[in-house]
Amino acid sequence: MERMKKTIYTLSGKALVISGLLFTFSPSYAQTVRDLIIKKPTYASCNYDTYPDSVPNNLTPSPKGKKPFYISHYGRHGSRYISSRSGYDIPFKMIAHADSVNELTPTGDRVFDEMKLVMNDTEQRWGELTSYGKIQHRAIARRLVERFPEIFCDNAHVSCISTIVPRCIESMGVAMAEMKQVNPKLRITMVASQRNQWYMNHQDRKLRKNYMTPEAQKAYNTYISSRLGNSRLMELIFKNPDIVKEIVDEENFNYYLMKMGLFQQNTHFYKNTYLRDLFETDELYRMWQIDNALWYIQHGACKLNGGKQPTSQRYLLRQLIADADSCINLEKPGAQLRFGHETVLLPLVCLIGINGYDLATDNLDELEEKGWWCSSVFPMGANLQFIFYRSSPSDRDVLLKVLLNEQEAKLPIATDCAPYYHWADFRSYCLGKLE
Amino acid sequence: MKALYLFITQRQARIIVGGVLMMSTMAATGQTVAQELKADPNRAAGSFYALPIGKMPKDTPAPKGKKPFYINHYGCPGSYYREMESIYEEPYAVFAKADSLGKLTKLGKDVKQRLRLLCSDAKDRIGELTPKGAEQSRAIMRQMVERFPDIMTPDGYYSCRSIVQNNCLMTLEESLVQLSSMMQPMRINVTASHREDRFMDPQDKVLNAACWDSLTLAHYNRFLALNTGNSRLMESLFTDQNFLIEQVDPEVLSRQLFVLAGSIQHTDLANLVTLYDLFTPAEIVGHWKKLNAKYYIQNGACALNGGTQPFMQRSTLRNMIHMGDSVLKREQPMIHMRYVNENVVMALACLMELDNCGIQTGNLDALADLGWVTYRIAPLGGSIMMVHYRSEKGDPDVLVKVLLNGEEARLPIETDCAPYYHWEDVKRYYLRKLYRYENIRLNEEAKK
Repeated sequence: MERMKKTIYTLSGKALVISGLLFTFSPSYAQTVRDLIIKKPTYASCNYDTYPDSVPNNLTPSPKGKKPFYISHYGRHGSRYISSRSGYDIPFKMIAHADSVNELTPTGDRVFDEMKLVMNDTEQRWGELTSYGKIQHRAIARRLVERFPEIFCDNAHVSCISTIVPRCIESMGVAMAEMKQVNPKLRITMVASQRNQWYMNHQDRKLRKNYMTPEAQKAYNTYISSRLGNSRLMELIFKNPDIVKEIVDEENFNYYLMKMGLFQQNTHFYKNTYLRDLFETDELYRMWQIDNALWYIQHGACKLNGGKQPTSQRYLLRQLIADADSCINLEKPGAQLRFGHETVLLPLVCLIGINGYDLATDNLDELEEKGWWCSSVFPMGANLQFIFYRSSPSDRDVLLKVLLNEQEAKLPIATDCAPYYHWADFRSYCLGKLE
Repeated sequence: MKALYLFITQRQARIIVGGVLMMSTMAATGQTVAQELKADPNRAAGSFYALPIGKMPKDTPAPKGKKPFYINHYGCPGSYYREMESIYEEPYAVFAKADSLGKLTKLGKDVKQRLRLLCSDAKDRIGELTPKGAEQSRAIMRQMVERFPDIMTPDGYYSCRSIVQNNCLMTLEESLVQLSSMMQPMRINVTASHREDRFMDPQDKVLNAACWDSLTLAHYNRFLALNTGNSRLMESLFTDQNFLIEQVDPEVLSRQLFVLAGSIQHTDLANLVTLYDLFTPAEIVGHWKKLNAKYYIQNGACALNGGTQPFMQRSTLRNMIHMGDSVLKREQPMIHMRYVNENVVMALACLMELDNCGIQTGNLDALADLGWVTYRIAPLGGSIMMVHYRSEKGDPDVLVKVLLNGEEARLPIETDCAPYYHWEDVKRYYLRKLYRYENIRLNEEAKK
């Protein structure tokens, strides 16, 4: 597999597109990040990536004699507008300044106009759920009900908790309305309360303050130094790139303009790819590397800062276990759905060690080859579904499987029935990690 | 004040006089505020009264051949926790301190325990929709679908919007889930965006500045003083006059207790705890009067501050008129639902002069008799709905009827088919009203 990846990496762009198409029919682990970016440029924007429009229906049948009876879930809100103006203001102020001194090329003029459109579209919508975000959550909710009709049967309880952030509340609302379309007899309750913030959106100040240790900073600086900057872009947009450097910081301009272009794919501007298309695949790819490394240092089990960052989600994991413990005692527990954020989902996935995301290393160059690709975990609408199985309420051997973005995931636990795991094993494994 | 008189044309004057006469007869036959508060003291919470969802209100049949095709709805959030944490914590702190010094009566000690329950119930839920509010929101939507079977159909297009605020947003989501369980398929658009604040949560600095001018404030303070008597209540709770004098502001504390008394109805403590037993019926009416006067000054056409506060909602009313025209060409029914703060609904009802909401007076004592009563205007779960009727697409004589909290409302406009009004008359009346005010504003700005 390693060899295969390298071969693809050296192929020309055209061949890559073809191989990319071929790979849609083969297991995803054979793809490289670069392939994924060619297929879907927004993959390069990590947490700004959009949720896939369709999901392969390839679930393993239920284990023999057992049926799904309970779902526990944590999902991220759908596509949103960028949270604050600052990310857009950085490149915008630079290009506006350059424009005021007549330093824009004709392409630069067009770029400036496109940026104005994006700014106007986002004005007064900072952080709000987009219509695309609603479409994503409707589709995810519909699939969930359709995939597990045993759980979402008539009169089943669906208990939802959202963080108090409006885009999460809205995601919850559209998802639940959609579930009612599939089965009007569901019994749905919804809560969005400060009361649950302690585990629904726990940001550990101490961990957050200390993630960038001097060692981590050094490694990060070294890693990104060769990947920043974009002189090609500067020449494309500015008449005199050298002079303009007085007012335009090349690295920041490149980085934030690219983010802006990719972010647009979350809004109803998604058909307009002008800004996105200014960038070549390798430029997108380098930005992905930069961001992926930073996300790893912030939320992964990175050895450069003690590897404790994923424990920021210890309260959530304990709550998931406690909720499951009490629900297993019920005859028909139904579903518990939670709506929150990527900065919770990513460390949770790392904490549990789903799909190898508990990778612990001090070498940032290893992330890519070992498959620590944050974009695969937390695009807009990302979700983690724990599906529980048993033969009857008296069955002591409860099994579960984990779906990351609706695809069966691997856990670092021994099992005799993958992708299913014994709940007792999972439980003791997680509690052991938390001690 | 001059500006106020400019609005009153001869025809309006006739309507106002007529209205006042009608109200006085209504007050004589209908229940008075004192009676209504006695029957259900929760009404004393004013706009913080939870609208009960009772039997389906009766609809006057529409004139022959006319069917509803468009509903424009502005709704208040359902029951929610108060938005100020201090309203829970401050009174408790006073009682806790008094208790630590042994200054509470037996009743005072009991009240302290009750306040503790209220505090812990509201902890980390400030401003949030309560479980009762969730139930209420669903019940309201269920009744709306059942009441308008001709228009609330899968053919309809539902455009649902909320301001970006927990209680309104959750009211919207609960309503949406209820609607979805009764409507398959459902064509819907849901939005909660600051983009729409301009007509869902409008702000106006000029009107804000005019609201509490010095004359109004002096008048209101005098009104407060005349209606205040807290010594009985304080003596029933505290044992020591010195403590009261040094540590307690009786006016603030009794107001806080009164506000909390009205807030319990929204929570799961509703049938377990009360604070209304602390007040005599006369005191309940007195506190309600003060609260009512404040809301009137802020949202009503109060003669003290120029009577212009309802114009805060002029863009909302303009949007209503604009929408009424723009849906005329639609084939399929359309339903606009918007969830906004209760003060927006209140001021809009005043601007539209629904029932007695348009009253113009400087006499704060007369509000109850004139029928300007908060809990009838914009309680939690309340709404203004303008329902548009026509015989078919292209019908030149569209009729509208307005429901205030589900009940057919009277508009300040002549009609031959009340409670239905001719859309063209409604539009003309309101647009004129808006233009007159906007002209005054333009002239004022030109003078600056």
